[in-house]
Amino acid sequence: MNKENLNPGDTRLGALLRAARPSPSLPPRFQEGVWRRIEEAEAPAKSADDVTWLDALAVLVLRPRFAFATVSALVLAGVLFGTYNGTQVARQEAQAHYLAVVAPDSLR
Amino acid sequence: MNRSLVILLGALALGAMIFAGSYSASKRVCLLATSADDLSWLRTEFHLSDADMARVRQLHEGYKPKCAEICMRIAAKKAEVQAALADGTNVTATAQQKLIELGELRGQCQAQMLQHFIAVSQAMPPEQGRRYLAEMKRLTLGFHEVIEQSMTPAAGHEHHQP
Repeated sequence: MNKENLNPGDTRLGALLRAARPSPSLPPRFQEGVWRRIEEAEAPAKSADDVTWLDALAVLVLRPRFAFATVSALVLAGVLFGTYNGTQVARQEAQAHYLAVVAPDSLR
Repeated sequence: MNRSLVILLGALALGAMIFAGSYSASKRVCLLATSADDLSWLRTEFHLSDADMARVRQLHEGYKPKCAEICMRIAAKKAEVQAALADGTNVTATAQQKLIELGELRGQCQAQMLQHFIAVSQAMPPEQGRRYLAEMKRLTLGFHEVIEQSMTPAAGHEHHQP
């Protein structure tokens, strides 16, 4: 084998190889995408200080135990308030009904 | 919009709907469970027993036709007053007479009503009877007292003496 042919700096051989293996065309905005991925990979992970109270609250709301307790409390509060208010309204309606029967409007 | 904010707003809306739903459902159940009986208020408000209720109901049924009869007479007299006042701009002697008769009828009706309230109060246990009578006087006669008190000089309404 000829020793000259093994020289990597042989410019003629390099040009011949490049010509024999043409590189495919790159997709649009390829370079921009590469840089973005590099920046994302180099960016530090979100620390605990960066989590806002809103995020913390959202995480809490999504916990099944918290959600179940909240729904139960709301249903209970709704039933209690509704029953109290319904009783008051029913009492007033019953009183008005009795008065309408025994005391005509023309006297009141 | 921030994802956390969307989650919280959604949870808030869902919570409000759950509360409103249970509130209106229980209120409706309460109203539907109320009896349409004329005397249901007396039973619950004055804690009457079945025996008390039977006596009160008997008095009530006896009073209703009398009340209806005098109410019809009042309505007829009011129509006469309206007719007498419709013609002129002055209060004629006829209109004045009709107004006096209407007042007398209202007085009779009021006296009959008070008599009924006293009878009903006596059919109840003493303490409840006193409370019932006071409440009925307040509800039926108190209305006039408020108007009359508002017409007194102390309330800023002055009748100037000649």
